[in-house]
Amino acid sequence: MTDAIDQAAGLDGTDPRHALRRRRPEFVEGAEACRASVLHPADDLGLSAGLRNALAHRMALLNKDDTIAAQYVVMEDFSAVASGATDLPEPLNTIARHVDMVTADPTSATAEHIRRLEAAGLSAPQIVALSELIAYVNFQVRVVAGLRLLGAA
Amino acid sequence: MTPQIKLKPLVWHPHVAPVELADATSAQLEAMKVTPSAKKVSPYVRTLAHDPESYVARTVLFNAIMYAEGGLPRPDRELGALGASVVNGCRYCAVVHARQHAHLTQSDAVVSAVYLDRPQDLSPRDAAIYAFARRLSVTPSTATTADVQALRDAGMEEAEIVDLIHSIAIFGWANRLMHVLGHATPA
Repeated sequence: MTDAIDQAAGLDGTDPRHALRRRRPEFVEGAEACRASVLHPADDLGLSAGLRNALAHRMALLNKDDTIAAQYVVMEDFSAVASGATDLPEPLNTIARHVDMVTADPTSATAEHIRRLEAAGLSAPQIVALSELIAYVNFQVRVVAGLRLLGAA
Repeated sequence: MTPQIKLKPLVWHPHVAPVELADATSAQLEAMKVTPSAKKVSPYVRTLAHDPESYVARTVLFNAIMYAEGGLPRPDRELGALGASVVNGCRYCAVVHARQHAHLTQSDAVVSAVYLDRPQDLSPRDAAIYAFARRLSVTPSTATTADVQALRDAGMEEAEIVDLIHSIAIFGWANRLMHVLGHATPA
Protein backbone atom coordinates (compact mmCIF):
# COMPACT_ATOMS: atom_id res chain seq x y z
CA MET A 1 0.00 0.00 0.00
CA THR A 2 1.23 3.47 -0.85
CA ASP A 3 -0.23 6.81 0.21
CA ALA A 4 -0.10 10.34 -1.20
CA ILE A 5 3.31 11.03 0.35
CA ASP A 6 4.83 7.81 -1.03
CA GLN A 7 3.42 8.51 -4.47
CA ALA A 8 4.70 12.09 -4.53
CA ALA A 9 8.15 11.00 -3.34
CA GLY A 10 8.20 8.18 -5.90
CA LEU A 11 8.24 5.32 -3.36
CA ASP A 12 6.73 2.00 -4.33
CA GLY A 13 6.20 -0.79 -1.82
CA THR A 14 9.71 -2.17 -2.37
CA ASP A 15 11.59 1.07 -1.74
CA PRO A 16 13.56 1.02 1.54
CA ARG A 17 12.13 4.46 2.35
CA HIS A 18 8.62 2.99 2.17
CA ALA A 19 9.55 0.55 4.94
CA LEU A 20 11.36 3.30 6.83
CA ARG A 21 8.20 5.39 6.91
CA ARG A 22 6.22 2.42 8.28
CA ARG A 23 8.49 2.30 11.33
CA ARG A 24 6.47 5.35 12.37
CA PRO A 25 2.90 4.22 11.55
CA GLU A 26 1.54 7.13 13.61
CA PHE A 27 3.23 9.58 11.22
CA VAL A 28 1.85 7.81 8.15
CA GLU A 29 -1.70 7.47 9.48
CA GLY A 30 -1.60 10.92 11.06
CA ALA A 31 -0.60 12.61 7.81
CA GLU A 32 -3.38 10.82 5.92
CA ALA A 33 -5.97 11.83 8.55
CA CYS A 34 -4.77 15.44 8.31
CA ARG A 35 -4.96 15.34 4.53
CA ALA A 36 -8.61 14.26 4.70
CA SER A 37 -9.41 16.91 7.34
CA VAL A 38 -8.18 19.80 5.17
CA LEU A 39 -9.11 18.55 1.67
CA HIS A 40 -12.53 16.97 2.14
CA PRO A 41 -13.69 17.42 5.73
CA ALA A 42 -17.12 16.16 6.81
CA ASP A 43 -18.02 19.82 7.48
CA ASP A 44 -16.37 21.99 4.83
CA LEU A 45 -17.35 25.23 6.63
CA GLY A 46 -18.32 26.73 3.27
CA LEU A 47 -14.94 26.15 1.58
CA SER A 48 -15.68 23.56 -1.09
CA ALA A 49 -13.46 20.58 -1.83
CA GLY A 50 -13.04 22.02 -5.34
CA LEU A 51 -11.62 25.27 -3.98
CA ARG A 52 -9.45 23.45 -1.45
CA ASN A 53 -7.91 21.25 -4.14
CA ALA A 54 -7.30 24.20 -6.43
CA LEU A 55 -5.55 26.15 -3.66
CA ALA A 56 -3.45 23.09 -2.77
CA HIS A 57 -2.45 22.78 -6.42
CA ARG A 58 -1.50 26.47 -6.47
CA MET A 59 0.66 26.09 -3.35
CA ALA A 60 2.44 23.05 -4.73
CA LEU A 61 3.32 25.09 -7.83
CA LEU A 62 4.70 27.89 -5.61
CA ASN A 63 6.88 25.20 -4.03
CA LYS A 64 8.01 24.22 -7.56
CA ASP A 65 6.62 20.72 -7.06
CA ASP A 66 4.71 19.69 -10.17
CA THR A 67 4.36 16.10 -8.94
CA ILE A 68 2.49 17.17 -5.82
CA ALA A 69 0.51 19.74 -7.81
CA ALA A 70 -0.70 16.93 -10.08
CA GLN A 71 -2.10 15.09 -7.05
CA TYR A 72 -4.56 17.91 -6.52
CA VAL A 73 -7.00 17.43 -9.34
CA VAL A 74 -8.43 20.75 -10.45
CA MET A 75 -12.02 21.13 -11.54
CA GLU A 76 -12.57 23.44 -14.48
CA ASP A 77 -14.34 26.10 -12.40
CA PHE A 78 -11.18 26.57 -10.38
CA SER A 79 -8.52 26.34 -13.08
CA ALA A 80 -7.51 30.02 -12.76
CA VAL A 81 -7.18 29.72 -8.97
CA ALA A 82 -5.07 26.60 -9.33
CA SER A 83 -2.75 28.00 -11.97
CA GLY A 84 -1.73 31.07 -9.94
CA ALA A 85 -3.89 33.86 -11.39
CA THR A 86 -4.00 37.13 -9.41
CA ASP A 87 -6.91 38.78 -11.20
CA LEU A 88 -9.68 36.59 -9.83
CA PRO A 89 -13.16 37.65 -8.75
CA GLU A 90 -13.59 38.29 -5.01
CA PRO A 91 -13.37 36.71 -2.53
CA LEU A 92 -11.13 34.33 -4.49
CA ASN A 93 -8.54 36.98 -5.24
CA THR A 94 -8.05 37.91 -1.59
CA ILE A 95 -7.93 34.22 -0.62
CA ALA A 96 -5.41 33.41 -3.36
CA ARG A 97 -3.11 36.31 -2.45
CA HIS A 98 -3.20 35.26 1.19
CA VAL A 99 -2.37 31.67 0.26
CA ASP A 100 0.59 32.87 -1.82
CA MET A 101 1.96 35.11 0.95
CA VAL A 102 1.68 32.48 3.70
CA THR A 103 3.25 29.83 1.48
CA ALA A 104 6.15 31.86 0.11
CA ASP A 105 6.90 34.31 2.91
CA PRO A 106 5.05 33.55 6.16
CA THR A 107 7.35 35.93 8.06
CA SER A 108 5.58 38.88 6.44
CA ALA A 109 2.13 37.91 7.83
CA THR A 110 0.42 40.53 10.02
CA ALA A 111 -3.00 41.12 11.57
CA GLU A 112 -3.81 43.23 8.50
CA HIS A 113 -3.83 40.09 6.34
CA ILE A 114 -6.53 38.57 8.55
CA ARG A 115 -8.54 41.82 8.35
CA ARG A 116 -8.42 41.55 4.54
CA LEU A 117 -9.84 38.02 4.65
CA GLU A 118 -12.63 39.25 6.94
CA ALA A 119 -13.32 42.19 4.62
CA ALA A 120 -13.63 39.71 1.74
CA GLY A 121 -16.36 37.97 3.73
CA LEU A 122 -14.58 35.04 5.35
CA SER A 123 -15.80 33.90 8.77
CA ALA A 124 -13.48 32.95 11.63
CA PRO A 125 -14.02 29.20 10.99
CA GLN A 126 -13.20 29.74 7.29
CA ILE A 127 -10.03 31.69 8.14
CA VAL A 128 -8.87 28.90 10.46
CA ALA A 129 -9.78 26.17 7.94
CA LEU A 130 -7.90 28.03 5.20
CA SER A 131 -4.87 28.37 7.49
CA GLU A 132 -4.87 24.63 8.22
CA LEU A 133 -5.08 23.82 4.50
CA ILE A 134 -2.15 26.13 3.71
CA ALA A 135 -0.16 24.66 6.58
CA TYR A 136 -0.86 21.03 5.57
CA VAL A 137 0.29 21.49 1.97
CA ASN A 138 3.48 23.17 3.11
CA PHE A 139 4.04 20.26 5.52
CA GLN A 140 3.47 17.64 2.82
CA VAL A 141 5.81 19.40 0.39
CA ARG A 142 8.64 19.30 2.96
CA VAL A 143 8.16 15.69 3.98
CA VAL A 144 8.23 14.69 0.32
CA ALA A 145 11.27 16.89 -0.46
CA GLY A 146 13.14 15.31 2.45
CA LEU A 147 12.25 11.76 1.44
CA ARG A 148 13.41 12.41 -2.12
CA LEU A 149 16.78 13.68 -0.85
CA LEU A 150 17.10 10.61 1.36
CA GLY A 151 16.80 8.40 -1.71
CA ALA A 152 19.06 10.47 -3.94
CA ALA A 153 21.97 10.97 -1.54
CA MET B 1 32.95 31.48 23.19
CA THR B 2 29.31 32.33 22.51
CA PRO B 3 27.72 34.73 25.01
CA GLN B 4 24.89 32.83 26.73
CA ILE B 5 21.30 33.88 26.16
CA LYS B 6 18.41 32.86 28.37
CA LEU B 7 15.06 33.37 26.64
CA LYS B 8 11.95 34.50 28.47
CA PRO B 9 8.55 33.07 27.52
CA LEU B 10 6.17 35.01 25.27
CA VAL B 11 2.39 35.27 25.33
CA TRP B 12 0.37 34.60 22.16
CA HIS B 13 -2.58 36.80 21.16
CA PRO B 14 -4.94 35.73 18.36
CA HIS B 15 -5.90 37.98 15.42
CA VAL B 16 -9.21 36.06 15.18
CA ALA B 17 -11.72 35.97 18.03
CA PRO B 18 -11.34 32.51 19.63
CA VAL B 19 -14.28 30.21 20.29
CA GLU B 20 -15.87 31.05 23.65
CA LEU B 21 -16.52 27.93 25.70
CA ALA B 22 -20.10 29.06 26.39
CA ASP B 23 -20.81 29.23 22.63
CA ALA B 24 -18.88 26.14 21.54
CA THR B 25 -20.58 23.36 19.58
CA SER B 26 -20.33 19.78 20.86
CA ALA B 27 -17.72 19.03 18.14
CA GLN B 28 -15.63 22.01 19.28
CA LEU B 29 -15.89 21.01 22.96
CA GLU B 30 -14.92 17.46 22.06
CA ALA B 31 -11.94 18.74 20.02
CA MET B 32 -10.76 20.92 22.91
CA LYS B 33 -11.25 17.98 25.29
CA VAL B 34 -13.21 20.27 27.55
CA THR B 35 -14.31 18.53 30.70
CA PRO B 36 -16.69 20.03 33.28
CA SER B 37 -13.70 20.63 35.56
CA ALA B 38 -11.72 22.49 32.89
CA LYS B 39 -12.06 26.21 33.44
CA LYS B 40 -9.46 27.52 31.06
CA VAL B 41 -8.51 26.51 27.53
CA SER B 42 -5.69 28.47 25.86
CA PRO B 43 -6.57 31.13 23.25
CA TYR B 44 -4.55 29.13 20.69
CA VAL B 45 -6.61 25.97 21.18
CA ARG B 46 -9.84 27.98 21.19
CA THR B 47 -8.83 29.72 17.95
CA LEU B 48 -8.07 26.46 16.15
CA ALA B 49 -11.28 24.94 17.54
CA HIS B 50 -13.15 27.00 14.93
CA ASP B 51 -12.28 24.02 12.68
CA PRO B 52 -12.45 21.08 15.08
CA GLU B 53 -11.77 18.36 12.47
CA SER B 54 -8.41 19.68 11.37
CA TYR B 55 -7.47 20.64 14.92
CA VAL B 56 -7.96 17.09 16.21
CA ALA B 57 -6.13 15.46 13.29
CA ARG B 58 -3.20 17.86 13.47
CA THR B 59 -2.80 17.57 17.25
CA VAL B 60 -2.47 13.78 17.02
CA LEU B 61 0.17 14.07 14.28
CA PHE B 62 2.05 16.90 16.02
CA ASN B 63 2.32 14.99 19.28
CA ALA B 64 3.51 11.84 17.49
CA ILE B 65 6.22 13.74 15.61
CA MET B 66 7.53 15.71 18.57
CA TYR B 67 7.13 13.15 21.38
CA ALA B 68 7.15 9.61 19.90
CA GLU B 69 9.56 7.34 21.76
CA GLY B 70 12.84 6.15 20.31
CA GLY B 71 14.43 7.39 17.12
CA LEU B 72 15.78 10.91 16.91
CA PRO B 73 16.65 12.36 20.35
CA ARG B 74 14.15 15.00 21.45
CA PRO B 75 16.61 17.93 21.54
CA ASP B 76 17.36 17.29 17.86
CA ARG B 77 13.64 17.47 17.04
CA GLU B 78 13.45 20.76 18.97
CA LEU B 79 16.41 22.13 17.00
CA GLY B 80 14.66 21.18 13.75
CA ALA B 81 11.54 22.99 15.00
CA LEU B 82 13.65 26.01 15.96
CA GLY B 83 15.35 26.21 12.55
CA ALA B 84 11.98 26.13 10.79
CA SER B 85 10.53 28.74 13.15
CA VAL B 86 13.45 31.12 12.51
CA VAL B 87 12.99 30.86 8.74
CA ASN B 88 9.20 31.20 8.94
CA GLY B 89 9.37 34.16 11.31
CA CYS B 90 7.33 32.62 14.12
CA ARG B 91 8.85 34.30 17.18
CA TYR B 92 6.48 32.54 19.55
CA CYS B 93 7.27 29.02 18.24
CA ALA B 94 10.98 29.82 18.16
CA VAL B 95 11.06 30.83 21.81
CA VAL B 96 8.95 27.88 22.98
CA HIS B 97 11.15 25.34 21.20
CA ALA B 98 14.41 27.08 21.99
CA ARG B 99 13.43 26.91 25.65
CA GLN B 100 12.52 23.23 25.27
CA HIS B 101 15.94 22.58 23.77
CA ALA B 102 17.67 24.44 26.61
CA HIS B 103 15.61 22.53 29.17
CA LEU B 104 16.20 19.10 27.61
CA THR B 105 19.96 19.67 27.21
CA GLN B 106 20.36 21.70 30.41
CA SER B 107 22.37 24.17 28.34
CA ASP B 108 21.79 27.51 26.60
CA ALA B 109 24.72 27.00 24.23
CA VAL B 110 22.85 25.89 21.11
CA VAL B 111 20.03 28.39 21.55
CA SER B 112 22.57 31.17 22.05
CA ALA B 113 24.43 30.26 18.86
CA VAL B 114 21.12 30.31 16.95
CA TYR B 115 19.85 33.59 18.39
CA LEU B 116 23.19 35.35 17.90
CA ASP B 117 23.38 33.92 14.36
CA ARG B 118 26.68 32.17 15.05
CA PRO B 119 26.12 28.71 13.48
CA GLN B 120 29.91 28.30 13.42
CA ASP B 121 29.71 27.85 17.22
CA LEU B 122 27.47 24.76 16.87
CA SER B 123 28.81 21.18 17.01
CA PRO B 124 29.03 19.50 13.59
CA ARG B 125 25.87 17.50 14.38
CA ASP B 126 23.86 20.53 15.54
CA ALA B 127 25.18 22.60 12.62
CA ALA B 128 24.04 19.90 10.18
CA ILE B 129 20.57 19.73 11.78
CA TYR B 130 20.17 23.51 11.85
CA ALA B 131 21.34 24.03 8.26
CA PHE B 132 19.04 21.27 6.96
CA ALA B 133 16.10 22.70 8.93
CA ARG B 134 16.66 26.15 7.49
CA ARG B 135 17.04 25.02 3.89
CA LEU B 136 14.09 22.61 3.97
CA SER B 137 11.88 25.40 5.37
CA VAL B 138 12.43 27.90 2.56
CA THR B 139 9.81 28.02 -0.24
CA PRO B 140 10.71 26.25 -2.45
CA SER B 141 13.08 24.05 -0.46
CA THR B 142 16.79 24.62 -1.05
CA ALA B 143 17.90 21.51 0.89
CA THR B 144 20.34 19.28 -0.99
CA THR B 145 21.78 15.78 -0.85
CA ALA B 146 24.88 17.38 0.70
CA ASP B 147 22.73 18.47 3.65
CA VAL B 148 21.51 14.89 4.11
CA GLN B 149 25.05 13.57 3.79
CA ALA B 150 26.18 16.00 6.52
CA LEU B 151 23.56 14.47 8.83
CA ARG B 152 24.84 10.96 8.05
CA ASP B 153 28.43 12.08 8.56
CA ALA B 154 27.39 13.38 12.00
CA GLY B 155 26.23 9.84 12.84
CA MET B 156 22.52 10.11 12.13
CA GLU B 157 20.74 6.93 10.97
CA GLU B 158 18.20 6.89 8.13
CA ALA B 159 15.23 6.45 10.48
CA GLU B 160 16.44 9.39 12.57
CA ILE B 161 16.65 11.55 9.46
CA VAL B 162 13.04 10.63 8.68
CA ASP B 163 12.13 11.81 12.20
CA LEU B 164 14.03 15.05 11.63
CA ILE B 165 12.33 15.70 8.28
CA HIS B 166 8.98 15.37 10.05
CA SER B 167 9.90 17.66 12.94
CA ILE B 168 10.99 20.36 10.48
CA ALA B 169 7.95 19.85 8.24
CA ILE B 170 5.43 19.97 11.10
CA PHE B 171 6.78 23.42 11.93
CA GLY B 172 6.26 24.44 8.32
CA TRP B 173 2.71 23.75 9.49
CA ALA B 174 2.67 25.10 13.07
CA ASN B 175 4.48 28.34 12.16
CA ARG B 176 1.88 29.03 9.47
CA LEU B 177 -0.84 28.82 12.11
CA MET B 178 0.71 30.63 15.07
CA HIS B 179 2.42 33.44 13.19
CA VAL B 180 -0.43 34.00 10.74
CA LEU B 181 -3.34 33.76 13.20
CA GLY B 182 -1.76 35.77 16.02
CA HIS B 183 1.24 37.57 17.43
CA ALA B 184 3.50 37.32 20.46
CA THR B 185 4.38 39.78 23.21
CA PRO B 186 6.63 39.45 26.27
CA ALA B 187 4.92 37.74 29.21
